Amino acid sequence: MRNVFYLSIIVLFTSCMPNKKNSNEINIYSQRHYDSDKLQYKKFEEETGIKVNVTKAGADELIQRMKNEGDNSQADLFITVDVGKLWQASDMGLFQKFDDQTVFDNLDPQFLDKNGYWVPVTYRSRVVVYSNERVKKEDLSTYEDLANEKWRGRLLVRSSSNAYNQALVSSLVANLGPDAVTSWSENIVKNFARDPKGSDRDQVKAIAAGQGDIAIVNSYYIGLLLSSEKEEEIKAGNAVSVFFPNQGENERGAHINVSGIALLKNASNKENAIKLIKYLTSEEGQQTYVNNSYEYAINPNVKPDSIVQAWGEFKKDPVDLNMLGIMRDEAIRIFDKTGWK
Amino acid sequence: MEIKKKYLSNSSKLILSTVFLLFIVILPILALIYSVFGVELDNFSYLWENLLFEYSIDTIYLVSLTSFFSLIFGIIPAWYVSTNNFRGKNFYDIMLYLPLAIPAYIMAFTYSDILSYTGPIQSFSRKYFPGLADFLNRDYLQIEILSIIMALSLYPYIYTACRLSFSLIGSNYIELSRSLGMSSTKTFFKIIIPLSRVSIFSGLFLVIMEVLNEYGAVQYFGVNTFTSGIFRSWYSMQDVQTASLLAIILFAVVVMFFLTERYVNSKFKFNYKPNTKNYVSNHTSKTKKILLHISCLFPIFLGFIIPVLFIINNVIYEFEKIDFVRVFNLTTNTVLISLTASIIIIIIAVYFQFIKRIIRNRAVSLLNDAISLTYALPGAVIGLSLIILVTKTPFKSEIMIGSFSLLVYAYVMRYMAVGISPLKSSFEKHPSSFDDTAFNLGMGPLKLFRRIHFPINKSAIAIAFLITFVDIIKELPITLILTPFNFDTLSVQTYQYAVDEMIPKSAIYSLTIVMLGTILLIFLKKIVNKQIDVSKNN
Repeated sequence: MRNVFYLSIIVLFTSCMPNKKNSNEINIYSQRHYDSDKLQYKKFEEETGIKVNVTKAGADELIQRMKNEGDNSQADLFITVDVGKLWQASDMGLFQKFDDQTVFDNLDPQFLDKNGYWVPVTYRSRVVVYSNERVKKEDLSTYEDLANEKWRGRLLVRSSSNAYNQALVSSLVANLGPDAVTSWSENIVKNFARDPKGSDRDQVKAIAAGQGDIAIVNSYYIGLLLSSEKEEEIKAGNAVSVFFPNQGENERGAHINVSGIALLKNASNKENAIKLIKYLTSEEGQQTYVNNSYEYAINPNVKPDSIVQAWGEFKKDPVDLNMLGIMRDEAIRIFDKTGWK
Repeated sequence: MEIKKKYLSNSSKLILSTVFLLFIVILPILALIYSVFGVELDNFSYLWENLLFEYSIDTIYLVSLTSFFSLIFGIIPAWYVSTNNFRGKNFYDIMLYLPLAIPAYIMAFTYSDILSYTGPIQSFSRKYFPGLADFLNRDYLQIEILSIIMALSLYPYIYTACRLSFSLIGSNYIELSRSLGMSSTKTFFKIIIPLSRVSIFSGLFLVIMEVLNEYGAVQYFGVNTFTSGIFRSWYSMQDVQTASLLAIILFAVVVMFFLTERYVNSKFKFNYKPNTKNYVSNHTSKTKKILLHISCLFPIFLGFIIPVLFIINNVIYEFEKIDFVRVFNLTTNTVLISLTASIIIIIIAVYFQFIKRIIRNRAVSLLNDAISLTYALPGAVIGLSLIILVTKTPFKSEIMIGSFSLLVYAYVMRYMAVGISPLKSSFEKHPSSFDDTAFNLGMGPLKLFRRIHFPINKSAIAIAFLITFVDIIKELPITLILTPFNFDTLSVQTYQYAVDEMIPKSAIYSLTIVMLGTILLIFLKKIVNKQIDVSKNN
């Protein structure tokens, strides 16, 4: 008994010690935990011999953690799937500036951080998908039009606690102003086919199931459904078509969001971390993302997967992506006020 | 007497050591309170106006429904198994208890997959019974369905408590009641339930605490409970103070509930002579038998067999893609950390019980009760309080974040009460004359423990250890908040795949948790059975 006690005390104390920072490693806090990412790190490890350690959690948890750990954080890099969170963390002073021009040369300038803290790795659009049976493409036009009475009881969308919805509504606030968006959101809630629940994929399945006719989802989920091994999921993917809103002549284009990476303020493996950023934004790294997760590449030389190409090219909302973070509080207040659960 | 006096003069040291341990265990609660000072109420009133009221109502509704279903799933089979002899009784007894191996969040992921549009039930009915398919394919009763799912994984708390109590009541009361002309139903409601009230409540209390603690299942079903409000202010609003305030409100409500339960129950404590002979009913009508079998098989199938088969099916489906090295590593991590935490818990818990016995002082036993209070804190709140402790208070030490020891600390806090409760009843059972005699014979406290208390409480210690071990293996919210760098556990991996809509990929990790739990619970059940069936020894 006594030995056990001493042993556990020793375990406790040794585990208190900070790990020695190995020079041939990188430590990442990542919100992305798809298999495409595992593949990226594996390839990177093979090419460079640098070991990649990843701690995965939700973006909020990770940001909170980086903030709490302060200068002692073991993490070198932070990866997330929503630009709002990238802005939030950079605004909290958690990152250092990243200014390697050779990386930027590869990337579409529209997606870059004007303040220079984060680097995009992929982008995605939040689109409208509609039932092939019950909706005519001509009936769809803009995000604003989704509040129209003709969609009463037909619209599917997930909860307002989801970062993608927060980013979409932030972009609307940035473009249209809070008052217009509040009344828009009131009508959107009236148009709900059901209380928001489930994931983006669930919304598509719900269209297939006839619970609603249109849904707001991220583009790549359709790719994931169509490439699924489950017959029922492929069926659900085939029951709908993708529509990019706000494509008209004087309209601003479809809402986009980026998944991005940033270097922590006190990254102790800075050089290795920069190597990884370079790798992820290189053609090879971008190709891995595009092939496995159906996102769009930030590197203009890399074409999307064939499933994604079939949806065609589209016009993108040119709003400064940081606005998706800056307007987030306002967006959340609008959700709360208008009862978007 | 001399020796005892000499020994007791040392007792101030021992008391001091308990106070110190208690202080360590409840330190994070103090940190929470510390953090609330100077809170600005803007965010709180904003939350209250827009969300909290609804969250609270939903919480109360979810707690009530889950309690209701857990009582139904728990009490009826417990009654049947305790009072009837039939073939397969032991099998039922173990199976009814095994859903405890499936954490509520895994139950929720599994059932939402089973019930979804692309799941087997709806696919099947679409193919063969299109009329039924339309009925199933609706989206209603979210909280209600969630409560049934949670009840399926939590009812064993009530089952075990009732099973113990029903078999302790013994035959006298029941036979007396029957001979006075009461029907068996009447006997059940008028005699058995009132006599078992205390144990039913203790089981129910655990169920309620688990519902309040639940994070994964609730998030997944999009039901907003009070805990969602805490996260809302912590994460979205970046307002730790308001989050702490909400956490303390929740804590206060639970503690009040706990104390009321104690107070009410203390009035209902009966002193009955337990278990002279187990009551066994031999005359049960056929229809009743069928009904009783159904009442047992329903929770067994829905609570264990169906979800496990479904998980296994998913494992087979994904089999070629499984990374067994990773499964092995995560299993090692999970077992290692759960083992460390449960050993520490048992050492502290045993120490407390032992000190309480030999010192026999009101203050000490009060301290002893106080240490169990941390169970009233949901895991997420414990995570929050520890983060506050190491970042904001005078005990600041940022390196602790993401360390193995902080996670173990959190587990120890959360599960101390779980370890204490079986020890407490066992340590209280034996007469204090044991100790007096031992002291008079010149035994020191250490020897007293080694020679007497350890052997006579051995099975209680084993039970306490196994229960905390299983609970920690299943733990999710604390682990999510405090996981060490590069140290994933089975529960975290399961959760991450599930929220990423990859239920089949999560299956192997779920299955490992369930298997570990099942094995440990079967061990546990064997030890408990030895204790229940006192009659066999008579």
